[in-house]
Amino acid sequence: MVTIMLILKIIGSLIIIASSSLIGCLYGDKYSKRLRNLIYMRNCLQLLETEIMFTATHLPEAFENVYKKGNKNVSYFFKDIKEYLLSNKSNCIYDSFQFACSKSKNNLCLEDEDIEILLSLGKVLGKSDRIDQQKHFKAILTQLDRSRIEAEEKKKKNEKMYKSLGILSGFALVILLI
Amino acid sequence: MEKPKNKNFIKKYSDIDVSIFNNVLNYLDPMLTDVLVKVPDDIKHEIEEIRIRAGKPLMICMKGSDFFINKDGDISIYNINPYIATDLNVLKSFQIICNYSIYAIEEELKNGFLTIKGGHRVGVSGKVIYGKNGLETIKNISSLNVRIAREKIGVSNEIMKYIIKKPNTIYHTLIVSPPQCGKTTLLRDVIRNLSNGIEEYNFSGIKIGLVDERSEIASVFNGQPQNNIGIRTDILDGCKKYDGMILLIRSMSPHVIATDELGDEKDVKALHEALKAGVKIIATVHGENVNDLKSKPNLKQIINEKIFERIFILDNSKGVGTISKILNGSSFNSIREDDGNNYAYIKNHRKSNYNSLF
Repeated sequence: MVTIMLILKIIGSLIIIASSSLIGCLYGDKYSKRLRNLIYMRNCLQLLETEIMFTATHLPEAFENVYKKGNKNVSYFFKDIKEYLLSNKSNCIYDSFQFACSKSKNNLCLEDEDIEILLSLGKVLGKSDRIDQQKHFKAILTQLDRSRIEAEEKKKKNEKMYKSLGILSGFALVILLI
Repeated sequence: MEKPKNKNFIKKYSDIDVSIFNNVLNYLDPMLTDVLVKVPDDIKHEIEEIRIRAGKPLMICMKGSDFFINKDGDISIYNINPYIATDLNVLKSFQIICNYSIYAIEEELKNGFLTIKGGHRVGVSGKVIYGKNGLETIKNISSLNVRIAREKIGVSNEIMKYIIKKPNTIYHTLIVSPPQCGKTTLLRDVIRNLSNGIEEYNFSGIKIGLVDERSEIASVFNGQPQNNIGIRTDILDGCKKYDGMILLIRSMSPHVIATDELGDEKDVKALHEALKAGVKIIATVHGENVNDLKSKPNLKQIINEKIFERIFILDNSKGVGTISKILNGSSFNSIREDDGNNYAYIKNHRKSNYNSLF
């Protein structure tokens, strides 16, 4: 009887520890996911810049190309923009960006300031000649770089903390219960 | 080949004309599309231009006059309760027309017009910006003029016998016409016929190089010609006539070079180059008649040298695109074989309701 109770206790505590460390991991993962997606997003924007600068491709087609060439974790963002743009003619590029941002904000683990950067691109994209577009891209890419550095720092600081917090709180709960 | 005299043929044509108009509407702000789509079909097929001006009534042009249009799609010659286009209408239409990508149409914008799918041209006006290299761009777009292109396939069938020189070559040909009399339309169809070949005359088709400086003949959109210009035609789109002719002779070995609106000093030079290379020329030129051409500085030379062996003169006397004279280029005598009644080639075949508005 006693051994059965002991085994049950051990199994219970293992479950608690496993789940709490999983929660910790999930929380911590958000930071590395954000960093990863920011890097992918930057690559995608560079692809978009190339489409505009060197081949002067029209935006819908350029979005499609970025979707095909870019990392699939992020590039669906551009497909969303394209589809929204073509199906809602009365709206402009900015509206499409807003739609795509609100749709994939949580999915991409981006923060408000990252979304703000993307939206600011939506305000100027396609509205001027190529030289001007390049300047905008340059500005956006530097902003994204700054975001990336910040995301890196946050990741370093928080990811480990959340992970160990998860495991430790699991242990603490087990000790309390025992 | 069927001739466009047949009534059924004409009926089918106007249905196409209506669908052409509806296709154009895809390029406008949905608010404007909602209004214009309500216009009755028998008017739609004749509309030549849609004029959208910020803060001014929406208008359509056909048969040389313009009409107001109210929000239910009724048209009227009087300015009563018309649909007023807003600046947002203009802006959104412009965005859709340029596919949200102003950077992609920089060059076209410098010329003041864009070509959209189907070969239609959209004229743009607004605030012009000058830079180091002259006119740089147009901003604050305030007016759009959508010109609906309707290629008339088969209009040159009747005159091909004057152009073809047996066995398988052609005469140097010049088409002379005042503006809006259909010279580009005629040139386009001549090119198509020469390029495809004509069974009737045992003419097998020849290689044609087309220098389309103003993108009017082939109406290239995204690299694809939107008009039927034949299977043996190579197009240089947006290329200056001088550069284009030299380039084509060098690279594409054309039998014929076709181009629109001669007039520059350099064009004459290019013509001589082409003649040296043994290439046949088909060209159009602005003018009323041969004497008018002789009074123009650069054209005078061409006419006096008697380069062109066939000269077609168009006017509006029996409707748009009447071929009033067909001349032999060396003697300037008429070589027409009939009374000339058959050649008003872009006649308005259908009676439409709009006549009753007057």
